[in-house]
Amino acid sequence: MSALLVADHLVKHYPLRRRSLREPRRTVHAVNDVSFSVDRGRTLGIVGESGSGKSTTARLILRMVDATSGSVRFDGQDVLSAGRSEMKALRQRMQMIFQDPRGSLNPRMRVGDVVGEPLVVHRRASGVAVRSRVIELLEMVGMSAGDVDKFAHQFSGGQAQRIAIARALATDPELVICDEAVSALDVSVQAQILNLLRRLQTEFGLSYLFISHDLNVVRYMSDDTMVMYLGEVVETGPTEQVFGAPTHPYTQALLASAARGDWRSARTADLAGVAES
Amino acid sequence: MTSTVTIVTTPPRGDGRMASIRRFVKTEPIGVVSIVVIAFVVFVAVFAPLLAPYDPLAQNRADILVPPSAQYWMGTDWLGRDVLSRIIFGAQTSLVIAVATTVIAGVIGVTVGVISGYAGGFFDLAVQRIADAIESVPPIVLLLLIAAIMGPSIPNTVFALMIMLLPSFNRVARGEVLRIKREPFVEAAVATGVGPARIVVRHVLPNMMGPILTLATLRFAGVIIAESALSFLGLGPPPPTPSWGGMLSSGVQYIDFAPWLIVFPAIALSVAVLAFNLLGDSLRDFLDPKLVR
Amino acid sequence: MTLYILKRVVSGAVCLALVTVFVFVAMRFVPGDVVSVQLQNATGVSEEQAELLREQFGLNDPVYVQFFDWVGGVFRGDLGASFWSGEPAVDILAERVPITLQIGAFALVLAIVAGVGLGVIAARLRGTWVDGATRVGAVVGLSVPHYVIALLILVTLSNVFRWSPPLIFSSIGEDPVQYFQQAGIPIIALALMTTAGIARMTRSSMLEAISADSVRAVRARGGGEWDVIGVHALRNSGIPILTLVGLELGAVLGGTVILETLFAIPGVGSLTYEAVASRDYPLVVVCTIFYCVMYLVVTIVIDLAYAWIDPRIRTAGVGR
Repeated sequence: MSALLVADHLVKHYPLRRRSLREPRRTVHAVNDVSFSVDRGRTLGIVGESGSGKSTTARLILRMVDATSGSVRFDGQDVLSAGRSEMKALRQRMQMIFQDPRGSLNPRMRVGDVVGEPLVVHRRASGVAVRSRVIELLEMVGMSAGDVDKFAHQFSGGQAQRIAIARALATDPELVICDEAVSALDVSVQAQILNLLRRLQTEFGLSYLFISHDLNVVRYMSDDTMVMYLGEVVETGPTEQVFGAPTHPYTQALLASAARGDWRSARTADLAGVAES
Repeated sequence: MTSTVTIVTTPPRGDGRMASIRRFVKTEPIGVVSIVVIAFVVFVAVFAPLLAPYDPLAQNRADILVPPSAQYWMGTDWLGRDVLSRIIFGAQTSLVIAVATTVIAGVIGVTVGVISGYAGGFFDLAVQRIADAIESVPPIVLLLLIAAIMGPSIPNTVFALMIMLLPSFNRVARGEVLRIKREPFVEAAVATGVGPARIVVRHVLPNMMGPILTLATLRFAGVIIAESALSFLGLGPPPPTPSWGGMLSSGVQYIDFAPWLIVFPAIALSVAVLAFNLLGDSLRDFLDPKLVR
Repeated sequence: MTLYILKRVVSGAVCLALVTVFVFVAMRFVPGDVVSVQLQNATGVSEEQAELLREQFGLNDPVYVQFFDWVGGVFRGDLGASFWSGEPAVDILAERVPITLQIGAFALVLAIVAGVGLGVIAARLRGTWVDGATRVGAVVGLSVPHYVIALLILVTLSNVFRWSPPLIFSSIGEDPVQYFQQAGIPIIALALMTTAGIARMTRSSMLEAISADSVRAVRARGGGEWDVIGVHALRNSGIPILTLVGLELGAVLGGTVILETLFAIPGVGSLTYEAVASRDYPLVVVCTIFYCVMYLVVTIVIDLAYAWIDPRIRTAGVGR
């Protein structure tokens, strides 16, 4: 199994706006020296609370945000310094699914146009071929041909996310980043979408970067897991190892409070010592 | 005459066009009335040649300053011209100028605003400074200057009014672009590999049409007022073209014994402006999700 | 806070600079210049004499030379002299400024008093015909242009009461009765637009405030409806009034131009009109600067007033 995506010492700092000239400059270390790799056909889960830097990392990979330093290599090619046309070619191979299903679809575009846009932009099809390919994609994710002319807001969250998945698959990508892809959905719908994603992975040999704050979901989906806290990687390894025998105190606290059914309180006493370490 | 306006946006409701129209009729009766009035004004303007009983330019030395009567419903002016016909054609003049101004200013203002908002940087800064400068000059003074430079004519009037209107469209367009840029679907489009040009055309523009149209409607009344003010000062469409403002200004000297020369154009002007203002208010209320009814 | 004021002043200065350059350059492109306009009245003036006059005024120099001459003059405190009368432009302006400011002030006071009053009444008598009439009146007031209102008033006065305002100006100090006879209609016309807006805003902010908790407290103490309104009238309408004045400012300032000219009042407005008509560049420039400065100063004052009335804005750090 070769590594499809390799991220090396990624750093992203945001300078904070000062309110007056007397305040010292402060920066937010959103992502601080993060490195990982994703192999072909496998899923790497990134788990952490909000503010841990998971989503920022995803955006760094796709170069939707400029990194302060570090490197990203996709199939051996340098992403962060790629030129315009190279980047466009790369974008076909790496896609993303977002947290807000309906928000990620243009409310004024019909579903057919939304799913077909990648095909048109990357010139993979034109004219009538676009429509038939779009129908093919929609059916692949469990939607029907009749949905082509509808608008995004006419669908439920789960259906909208299916459409987003169809769009992501339009260019036959090799890597799909799922950024809290099921967090905004009802639990029952979550299971459907997760299973759809797994099925597609098997069928097309996709690699996933699966980001979520929900431990159960990450455990279910990922082959390997990486735990992030305040912009840094605190633990990484095969999923069963990370979940079964966590070594880092933060991971332990996270799992403990999840077991208690209320993982948000991992911030309390358990972590008092972790912040300094 | 001109005032700044905050446009509130709302995502499209689930219903289609017909349902939206039905909802509008129910909640905004005044808006409906004003649409009817506007339709009437437009009708009059478009079919002016057919509706006017007399040629607005035809002078009739025998019937000077006749008060309203069965023959001349709104009386005649000092050259024997029928006031009613002149008012009808005046509607045409005002509407043509107002539409031309709004459309041109809209296109240019939105284009500049979109580029300014999307590209940012020095261009944005420079454009904002210029827009502020234009807005800090009271409209009349601005119009005075431009119209005085260029001389009275219809195209020049449109030009002057257009300059006055540009900053508003620029500001709203830019604000909308900045807002839409942050929407998830724009992010998604970027991730998909869509280029900036296509993003602007297919993702940004269609989602800002609502506020832009509302702005255009709200400003329309102001444009009519401004054009009448220019005509009043003698800097608008030159005589003998009938225009409401021009009729008002020439009527001043006859105010003591021929008040109809002022009253009728004043009413026509007020009704038209009122209708557009009411429509603009209705539209804005209709599109504002936060309004308490 | 001071940083904010500084930023505003600087951007205001940039504004002013842009406008001045524009006006200066633009006026040069006006067909016909002051000399030819003057010549329309005089006869027997030869071409050489006309050319001499032009030289004297520097009208034949390239535009940028004229501009830099003028800028240099500004630093010396000399903003140019009227081509017509030769008096320093600033002096002419200074004579007229107080008159325009007076009219503006009267109009503003009238607008606030009438607007708040009507708004309060409409809010209190909500749902009755008084409320409806006020709202309709407000929209009408907002729509009808001020000079049209003035004209309609004139028409009514002259045809029904056989009276028209005097055309010879006497200042308020000399003869207050005549002053108001002449300036009354312009003041009312100017005020009406803003009155309508203030009435509307007062009414809606009253209605919002009436249901607030602090109002319940007043009621609980046994206060009647009028007490409730009284308590909130000033505090709540402060901000809306400021907002409105800021929004309407451009229109009101511009209104002085037409109204002063119509009613033969020697203020900055009529000066502007005459200056443009006679191509008297220095005066035009100076008048435009006056309007811009007024506009910028008032907007800054309004922003400061916001911060003063609502301390929350002040401490949060005013940023744009």
